[in-house]
Amino acid sequence: MQNKWIRFFKGYLIIRLHGDYVERFFNMCRMHDIYLWNIKKEETDFCCSIAAKDYFETIPLMKKTGTKATVLKKEGVPFYVPFMKKRFLFFISLILCLGMLYAVTDYIWAIEYIGNTQISNDELQNFLVSQNIHYGMKKKSLNCEETEKNLRASFPNITWTSIYYEGTKLFIEIKENEKAEPVMEETQGTNLIATEAGIITSMITRNGIPKVKIGDTIEQGQILVEGCVPIYDEGQNIIDYQVYHSDADISIRTQITYHEKLEKNYPYIQYTGNEQKSIFLEIFGYHMESPVIGGNYQSCERVTKKYQVSLLENLYLPVYYGNICKKEYHLRYLEYSEEEMKNQLNDNFEKFILCLQEKGVQIIEKDVKIEKYNMGMELNANLSVIKQTGKEEAIQGTDKKE
Amino acid sequence: MWKEELHGIGERFADAYSLPKDMVVNATLFHIIGKNDIYLENFKGIISYTCHEILIKGYDCKYCICGNCLSIAYYSNEDMKISGQIQEVKIIAGI
Repeated sequence: MQNKWIRFFKGYLIIRLHGDYVERFFNMCRMHDIYLWNIKKEETDFCCSIAAKDYFETIPLMKKTGTKATVLKKEGVPFYVPFMKKRFLFFISLILCLGMLYAVTDYIWAIEYIGNTQISNDELQNFLVSQNIHYGMKKKSLNCEETEKNLRASFPNITWTSIYYEGTKLFIEIKENEKAEPVMEETQGTNLIATEAGIITSMITRNGIPKVKIGDTIEQGQILVEGCVPIYDEGQNIIDYQVYHSDADISIRTQITYHEKLEKNYPYIQYTGNEQKSIFLEIFGYHMESPVIGGNYQSCERVTKKYQVSLLENLYLPVYYGNICKKEYHLRYLEYSEEEMKNQLNDNFEKFILCLQEKGVQIIEKDVKIEKYNMGMELNANLSVIKQTGKEEAIQGTDKKE
Repeated sequence: MWKEELHGIGERFADAYSLPKDMVVNATLFHIIGKNDIYLENFKGIISYTCHEILIKGYDCKYCICGNCLSIAYYSNEDMKISGQIQEVKIIAGI
């Protein structure tokens, strides 16, 4: 018995047979090695299936037995050829499309980051670029294990990584160490140096030797607490130095100047209400946009919505589509009144003060002046504040007293 | 008479040498699977076919397969398959 797919591929006919000696016709077919199947009796007639190439061989047998045949249906691939010939381009396009789809699935067309909270997507993307991993790269050229190792080495906060791809999408899955403090670079001790000039108002040293005292005037970059602690012998001679990370709370009184200028004329975007909408298609980086009616606007706001084509869930293709909305506007210059300018300058200054207070800066004195000039108004302020200072700086090899 | 004797010799020969009897004495071979399918081998042809009865010609007798909705699933030089609700298989002696 032949397989039904082979029969379909070769082509077959469903025929109706009518005559007095149809059984004899069947027997003669059998003797001539003509294969028949699905033989059914329908009232006075018989229906059966026969291979297309065998049909012509049965004609002399039909004549001999007085059987008449009617073809009811033609089935199989050979009978689709004329249909396919008429739609040649369609089938060629279909085959090309399938071929391209097969070729495209060898590359990575989407990247997703999972589990990152402290490390931003941009940082991870920069890392991937440094590893030569980008959109459109071949999947085979990606060494996942090596990249995982490099990722862990580049970001000490990452405790676990997994890089894998599904379809054409690359997944970068990481777990971060949320409990641990930021990893400090190993140094051989640090000094505390002044970040700005001022007068010391309070000082509590926890580690290291203080080099200044309350009431001293300090300059920017001056060492406040030294990390090298001398070790004395019984004769009060220095025999060695112990290196520490300096730690101290140091407050200084210093001056902060604030200056802001506000011009009388300011730009104002006035939308005309005119909109142009168009759709676009981007294939392999080639951008195609539908034409718009009414010409281009001189100045407009452009909002683009872009979607990537994906088959199934993770089979992303380098095909993007979307729409572009352009809103026309005119840029106008308006003038502030004196009152408006004053209010705006005061508002900005208050925000600045609030920002300082949030950082723990105490304001002792304020000297604020608002002055008018030909183009607008300006605010100058001198603030006398008490703030924390001190920045850790690694002890250089030359600084160490050996 | 001589045909029956020859048949008897053939059967004894097949038994003695453990040969398949259908080959030695040209007997029709029936495989009945359940009550819906029959496979036939070693037969001469179809004598008549209706929905309720198929008459098969063997080498020394006829076989009548009775039932309902009988159809021939395939019919080739070597074997055939009959499908349908088979009720009875009768052997009709003589050709």
